[in-house]
Amino acid sequence: MHNMLMGPLWGIIAVAVVVGVVTLACFIAMFRYLAHPGESSPDHPKYSILRRDR
Amino acid sequence: MAAAVQGAGIADRDATQEQTSEQDDRALAAVFKAYTISATCWLLFGTAVGLLLAFKFGAPDFWAEKYLTFGRLRPIHTNSVFYGFASIGLVGTAFYVTARSCGTRLYSTRLAWLGLWLFNIAALTGTIALDLGYNWGDLEYREWPWPIRLVLLAALLVTVWNLLATIARRASHDIYLSNWYIIGGFLWTCVICLVAILPWYQQGLGQVAISGYFMHNAVGMWFTPLALGLFYYAIPKVLNRPIYSYALGVLAFWTNLVFYPMLGGHHFLFSPLPWWLQTTAIICSVGMLVPVLGGSANFLLTMRGRYHGRIESYPLAFLFIGVLCYLVGSTQGTVEALRSLQAVWHFTSFTVGHSHLTMYGFVSFAVWGAIYALLPLATGKNPGRLGVATHFWLALVGMSIYVIALSIGGTLQGLDWVRGVPFIQSVAEMAPYYLWRGVGGILMFLSHLVFAWNVWRMTAGKPGNAPSPIMEPEGAAA
Repeated sequence: MHNMLMGPLWGIIAVAVVVGVVTLACFIAMFRYLAHPGESSPDHPKYSILRRDR
Repeated sequence: MAAAVQGAGIADRDATQEQTSEQDDRALAAVFKAYTISATCWLLFGTAVGLLLAFKFGAPDFWAEKYLTFGRLRPIHTNSVFYGFASIGLVGTAFYVTARSCGTRLYSTRLAWLGLWLFNIAALTGTIALDLGYNWGDLEYREWPWPIRLVLLAALLVTVWNLLATIARRASHDIYLSNWYIIGGFLWTCVICLVAILPWYQQGLGQVAISGYFMHNAVGMWFTPLALGLFYYAIPKVLNRPIYSYALGVLAFWTNLVFYPMLGGHHFLFSPLPWWLQTTAIICSVGMLVPVLGGSANFLLTMRGRYHGRIESYPLAFLFIGVLCYLVGSTQGTVEALRSLQAVWHFTSFTVGHSHLTMYGFVSFAVWGAIYALLPLATGKNPGRLGVATHFWLALVGMSIYVIALSIGGTLQGLDWVRGVPFIQSVAEMAPYYLWRGVGGILMFLSHLVFAWNVWRMTAGKPGNAPSPIMEPEGAAA
């Protein structure tokens, strides 16, 4: 589907590449943290939140 | 002798601190209760209006007096559930989460009460203004006249000051993740509320861009971060288990900030807005998959292995549905932003189904889950198990009927428009789907009546028999 209000094809590709690189980098970081969450120290806030409650 | 005096002094100080702590807890519980009761009143009012609107699709002449026309009631419904129910409900719970996660008392209960008054004054005067016909044009979710929106901005500023000051006196070095989301949501919303008022943005094509900016950011930079902030506190608390990945939560926070502010333009594809703005909005909509998929995976991995708990614990069941609807609704939003699909779905009832999947399925279930999980801890009163179960199933079934009916009907509507058949044919074809929308709406409204009863039992009434919202830690039984 093409519409004159979509803009020039190479312009769309240029925007897609620039924003797409940022998006791709964020996806890589997301998978990295999903695979290796780490954070095993008992002093980490994610553990202390379960203990600290007045 | 000196040692005995010193010992007595320490004992007195400890007793005073304990007393102060109890007073602080009571004050925090009173604030939490008042915000929840207020939000419940707005939920009943806003969704009663929504139910009436649903039936006007089938019977447009029903109750068609000047003050009850569709044009006046529709913004009353959206604004009252947005700024009355969801906002006040989220803010009340946020006060509790912030104070507890920081291990301190609320900075100022007076400011919290002032904020509640301001939120309610804005919602009440906004409703009256809209019903009298004072509608600020066609600007979605900011139909209230601008002086009333200034009152809403004042409520936000008072509340964020109170929350920031509470976080500043926290007992720990770190600021827990929930507070990042809560404070982020408040600060972003103060900015978008200000931009929505600035007069030089309210004309011509700029108004269109700002309309998209405000309309979508009111959802994604206000309700979303606050609801996610509640998830990051309530889910670990209920499960008695830490969040799967704290770092992933931080990444989701920043990527939400990077991608969300730009995507409002996807509501104006094929419009005279600059093409690069439209394309950027589409790609940022795809980028939103990072916080959505990452955040949802984080919550679901935190719940892994405790599936039986969702049957035993209704607060967890509410939170689970909230996470699922966040995942499905937001991913659906990304798909809808693509030009080829938007050409079919935009301006149809499909979009209404989508907004209910996200605002009801995600945000409302998050609010209810957090209230059922945390309000009993504040007041010491549980709701009845049957009441919570009834609320859950009525709301879930009602929402499912509503969303499925409008998704199918909206797709047929859009295909009719693309094929160029007479417009009236698409209206006639929607009739059975509007009926199902009404059926779903009735179930949802009934669930809200049950919720009001549950709130009564958790606050002022006789406590019920629901078990503690906090599950036993793994291995405790062994």
